Amino acid sequence: MRTDALIELLSRDAVWPLFRPRRIAAAVLAAVVLCSALFLALAGVRADLWHKVLEPAIAAKTLLPALVCAVALRGALRLARPGAKAGAGWLWGPAVVAALLWLRAFASLPAGQRFSEVGVLSLSECIGLILCLSVVPAVVALLTLREGASVRPWQSAFLAGLAAGSGAAAGYSFFCVQDNPLFYVTWYGLAILLAAAGTALAGVRLLRW
Amino acid sequence: MRSALGGDARAYARLLREVTPVLRGIVSARGRNLARDRQEDIVQEVLMAIHRKRHTWQPDLPVRPWLYTIARHKVIDAFRARVGAISLPIEDFENALVADDPPDGLAARDVAGLIGQLDRRSAQIVRAVGLEDEATASVGLRLGMSEGAVRVALHRAMRRLSVLAQGTKP
Repeated sequence: MRTDALIELLSRDAVWPLFRPRRIAAAVLAAVVLCSALFLALAGVRADLWHKVLEPAIAAKTLLPALVCAVALRGALRLARPGAKAGAGWLWGPAVVAALLWLRAFASLPAGQRFSEVGVLSLSECIGLILCLSVVPAVVALLTLREGASVRPWQSAFLAGLAAGSGAAAGYSFFCVQDNPLFYVTWYGLAILLAAAGTALAGVRLLRW
Repeated sequence: MRSALGGDARAYARLLREVTPVLRGIVSARGRNLARDRQEDIVQEVLMAIHRKRHTWQPDLPVRPWLYTIARHKVIDAFRARVGAISLPIEDFENALVADDPPDGLAARDVAGLIGQLDRRSAQIVRAVGLEDEATASVGLRLGMSEGAVRVALHRAMRRLSVLAQGTKP
């Protein structure tokens, strides 16, 4: 086909599809909230949640992943437009706060108590449940981001997974009774990174166009 | 671009026409070794990509960076695909597709018969690309497939045709 004829053909297709980042964000956040709500309805929230939710270390367990979720989702949406930058540098904020919490807990706790909560059951529960809860939001994020045109599909898929994993971790934190930052920063962090890496590996082909 | 966004097809055609020489320049600078028609294929691929993703342009931002980012991405993609792609030796299959001087249309019927044994979509692709010399990009647009998917489907169809042709040899 000649290029002139192709241009003629393309210009006749006058209906412009819509790119709606807010709708994508709403879909991903709805998936996070629904999966977490279903899990909490089945497993229950921790009994003392309402008494402890204002304690900084416990509030941080929910707020830090929620913040990572928001920043990563924003970055993935920005990358969906060619020529835009992710602006993912904001992720350093929650990362630095988490690192400080970890160091403070490490310095203040006696050696015997630092990793007392670590066990096969607690780790597999924490990492396994966060990964399970992140599957649906990650799939929703990848499928809806296909509307866009990321020229960095790896980065986009990683950010989508980061949003899904950290959203799942924020939801899971209402169930989790491990309040030691040494525990939750390490293992939530690992679970979130695994979700991000898995989504990047599985999703990079989906975001190519 | 803004007029095009408002549904002005002529403005959109004008935009694509104005962009095309720039794209040709980028493609020819990058692929000096490629034949002219191959270069033009890549230009068409980039135009298709601009068209498919036109909704990702943000009207309050300048169009040029958006356009160049898409062009750069698709040009790199196209060259990468050509370097890494399994070349489709269509000549290897010409005996299965086109016979020498079919005096009575028998060979042409054989070809039609072989293509008829493929699934409907593969047959459409072989007819369009292999026989009618249509660009894979425009076949993809028509069938709602990505260009890469068209190439893969064509390659598989050619292999299947080759097997079928060998099976029918006396």
